Amino acid sequence: MVDGPGPDRPELQVSRRQLLKYSGVAAAGVVGASTLAACGGGDSSDSGDGGGAQTSGGVLVHGATGGSSKDTIDPHRPVTNPDIARVNNLYEPLLFWDDQYKIAPALAESVTPSADAKTWTIKLRQGVTFHNGKDVTAEDVLFTMKRVANPKAPTSAGGTLATILDFDQTKKVDDSTIKVVLKTPYAILDYLLAEYTFGIIPTDFDLKNPVGTGAFKFKSFTPGKSSVFEKYADYWGDKAFVDELQIQDFSDPNAQVNALLAGQVQTIDNLPYNLIDSLKNQGGKALVSNTGAWVPFTMRVDSQPFSDVRVRQAMRLIVDRQQMIDQALSGYGSLGNDLYAPFDPAYAKDLPQREQDIDQAKSLLKAAGQDGLQVQLFTGDDIGAVAPASAALFVQQAKKAGVDVKVVKKNPFYGDDYLSYPFAQDFWNTRNYIPQAAVGSIKGGTYNETHFNNAKFTGLIKAAQAETDEAKRTSLLQDAQKIEYDEGGYIIWGFRRQVDGYTSKVQGLKPSKYLPLGSYKFNTVSV
Amino acid sequence: MTQVATLPEPLATVAPPRGRHGSVAWLLWVARRLGLAVLTLWLVSILVFVATAALGDPVRAILGKDYTADKARAAQLSALLHSDQPLVERYLHWLGGLFSGDLGTSLASQQPVSELIGSNVVNTLVLVVVSAVVMIPVAFGIAMVSANLRHGRGDSIIQVVLLTVAGLPEFVIGILLVAIFSTTVFHWLPAVTISSSTGHPWDEPKTMVLPVLTLVLAVAPYVSRIVRSTLLEVLDSDYVELARLKGIPERVVMRKHALLNAMVPGIQVLALQLAWLAGGVVVVEAVFNYPGIGKQLVDSVNAHDVPMVQALSMIIAAVYVGVNLVADLVSILLTPRARTAISS
Repeated sequence: MVDGPGPDRPELQVSRRQLLKYSGVAAAGVVGASTLAACGGGDSSDSGDGGGAQTSGGVLVHGATGGSSKDTIDPHRPVTNPDIARVNNLYEPLLFWDDQYKIAPALAESVTPSADAKTWTIKLRQGVTFHNGKDVTAEDVLFTMKRVANPKAPTSAGGTLATILDFDQTKKVDDSTIKVVLKTPYAILDYLLAEYTFGIIPTDFDLKNPVGTGAFKFKSFTPGKSSVFEKYADYWGDKAFVDELQIQDFSDPNAQVNALLAGQVQTIDNLPYNLIDSLKNQGGKALVSNTGAWVPFTMRVDSQPFSDVRVRQAMRLIVDRQQMIDQALSGYGSLGNDLYAPFDPAYAKDLPQREQDIDQAKSLLKAAGQDGLQVQLFTGDDIGAVAPASAALFVQQAKKAGVDVKVVKKNPFYGDDYLSYPFAQDFWNTRNYIPQAAVGSIKGGTYNETHFNNAKFTGLIKAAQAETDEAKRTSLLQDAQKIEYDEGGYIIWGFRRQVDGYTSKVQGLKPSKYLPLGSYKFNTVSV
Repeated sequence: MTQVATLPEPLATVAPPRGRHGSVAWLLWVARRLGLAVLTLWLVSILVFVATAALGDPVRAILGKDYTADKARAAQLSALLHSDQPLVERYLHWLGGLFSGDLGTSLASQQPVSELIGSNVVNTLVLVVVSAVVMIPVAFGIAMVSANLRHGRGDSIIQVVLLTVAGLPEFVIGILLVAIFSTTVFHWLPAVTISSSTGHPWDEPKTMVLPVLTLVLAVAPYVSRIVRSTLLEVLDSDYVELARLKGIPERVVMRKHALLNAMVPGIQVLALQLAWLAGGVVVVEAVFNYPGIGKQLVDSVNAHDVPMVQALSMIIAAVYVGVNLVADLVSILLTPRARTAISS
C-alpha cells in the first residue's frame, strides 16, 4: 500500500462514534421534550391560521415526533406522540377539554352530579354515529367504561375510576341516559371523562378494524411507520376539510423540519426550541401554546435540612425564575409561583408572585442555623433536557446566597431512589389541582416526592373532592394552595410553552392548552 | 512490493490442503470457513447477550416513574424477559430461539420480533444493495481515470475532492444534499421517506435518490483511493511494462492486465465497506427517516426493547460475517496463485 487511509478508516470511525453519542443525546432531549409535551396545551401567543377562506379537499400529512414498534391504535392505551394524535382523531370522549382547558360537551350533552357527588347522570347527544353507521348508545358507554376502568388491566385514564366506580350499581336508564354510581364522593368525575384516553367505542369493538366517532375513520396502520385515515362524512361536529389524514412517525427532529420545508408534511408537533428559528427563517410557521407542564425542584419536607420550613422558603427565594425560563426553556415559558395547575378555575392567582430575594434568603438561612449550607441536588437525563439545564442554573443562583449545591446525576433517575431523594427534580404535565394534589401532595399519594404530609391540607383536598358547589370548592382549594405556597416542598419556577410547526398553506390551527397542535383536532385544518 | 503483500489476511491462515482431489479440497475449505463464520457468530451472540444484560433492568427503564406504581405491568414485562431465571439459562433459551427462528417477543409492542423487523430488513437491504450497485462502477471508474492521469493535475484534483468528501461524516453529506435538493436551494427531491400505507420506500423511486447518493458519497472515496493506489503499483510492475513493450495499447493494458490484478484489494475494501453499511446506515436512515433496521435499532435502544436490540445486532453481525466470507471467496477465485494453492 502506498498512500491513503487503510480499510479501517480510523479517523472516520472516531467521528462516527462521536456522532452516535451526539445523536443519542439529541434523542434523549427529544424524548424528554415529548414526554413533557404529552399533556401540553396552550394560550394563543401565535395565531394559527393565516386568514382567508378555508378550502376543502386534499391530504394532510402530519409528521409526529417519535413513535416506534410500540405504537398502538388502542383508544385507551396511547403511548407515543403519534398514538396521541391518532386517538384524538379517531375516537372521542364524553366531554372535551377545550382550547382553554375547560370542560366542554362532546358525545355527552350533559354530565351532572348529585348533591353528594356520588351519583352522576350522563345524557348522550342524539344522532352521533360510529364509523360503521351504528348509533352511539348507553350500552356502548357502559362497555367503554368497564374497559377503561378494568381493575385487571388498568388503562391510563382508568386508574382513579377503577378505585371509585361501583360497577354493579352503574346502569343505563334509557338508550341515551346512564347513571354512574361511585363508592366515594368524587366531584370532578367530569375531569376523568374528558381525557382523550377515554374515547367511546362500540360494544363490538375490534382493534383490527377500529371504530370510533371522530372526524376521521380508520384506513390503515403500521406501527413505527405511519397510519392513514379518511374523512368521516357523517361526523356530528365540524366535518373535516381534508379528505385524508396521514400520520407519519419521525425519530429525528431535523428530518421532521426538513420534511416540512420540502412540503412533504404540513404539520409537525413538539418542535425542539433550537429548531424554531431555522424553521421560521425558511418559510415555516410556529404555533406556540401555553401549557401547565412543569419541571420542579423537590425538597423532602421530612428530611434535613428541608424539614425546617425556613430553609424551604430560602430555597424558593434563591431562584431567579425569569432566568430559568430564558435559559432552560429558551424563553418559551411562563412564570411559576410554586403552585401547580395554573389553568384550574381555582388557581390562586391572587397570591403575590414570588421573586428572587437573596438577602431575605440569607437571613432565613441564618435564622435556621444553616449558614453556608451544602446540599446535593439529584437529577437525571431521563427527566428530560430541561432538568439538567435548570439544575446547573440553580447551582449558580444558590452561590449568591452562600449555598453550595452539588449536582448528582443519577442514571436512571427513576430508579430505586426515586421518591426518596432529599433534594431533586421531576417533570409533570398539565393537570388540574385536585388530581395533581391527589397523586403528589397528600400522604399516600403515588408520587408524593416531597413527602408532604399536612393534615389540614389533606382535609381540604378531601372536602373539595366531595364538594359539587364550584364556589365552595374554589374556596377550599385556595386555602389548600395557600398552605403549599407557604410550606410546600416544591419549587415551581415556570411552565413550558408548547411549540409546533406548520407550513404557510395550513389554515385553521389554533393553540390549545390541552394538547399539541390545537389538541390534534385535524378536522379544523385545511391545506 | 508486489501484490502478494496486499493479499487478504484470511488466505494466510488457511493452510492449503494437499494431496486431495480439487473439488473435495474446495468443499473442505468452504466448510471450514463456514464453520469459522458460525463460531464467530456464536461468540458475537454471547457478547450481544451479555452486553444487553449488563445494561441494567430494562423493565425499570421502560416504566420510568411508574415502576413502583404499576406492579402488574412490571411483572408482565419481567415474564417476557424471563428475568427470574439465571443468566446462563436465559442465554441458552434465547440461543435456542435463534436457531429455531424464534427471535422472541418485543417488550414495547408485545409482538413477535421477527414480524416487526421483517420489512425493515428488506428496506435496508435494498438501500445497501442499490447503493453498492451504483457505487462499484463509480468508484472503480474514478480509480481508473485517476490512475491514468497519475501525478498530473487531473489526478491531484480528483484526489483532493475524494479526500474532502471522505472527510465529511455522512450525516453532514446528507444534510447538505437535503439543503441543496429539497429545502433551501431547490425543491426537486423529497427530503425524507413518507411511508405509503402498504408498500415500500421505493414505491416512489424519487425518495431513494438522496439516501443512495449519501451512501455512495460516503463510501466511494475509500474504495476509489485503495483501487487507485493498487492500480499504480500494478502499472509499475514488470509484467505490465512487458505488456506495454509488446505494443499492447494502454487502454487494454489498463483493463486486462492491471485492473484485474488490482481488483482483489478493492474487493476486500468493498466488503468491509458494505458490511459497515449494514450497521452504518443508522445515521443515514435517521436523517432521511428511512424505515430500515438502523432506525429501528435506534428506536429500540431508546425504548429499551432488549429482544429487538439483540435480534437486530445479530442480523448486522451476520451480514458482516457473510459479506466478508463472500469477499474472501471472490478474492481467492480472482487470485490464480491462491486458487491453485487450495485445489492442488
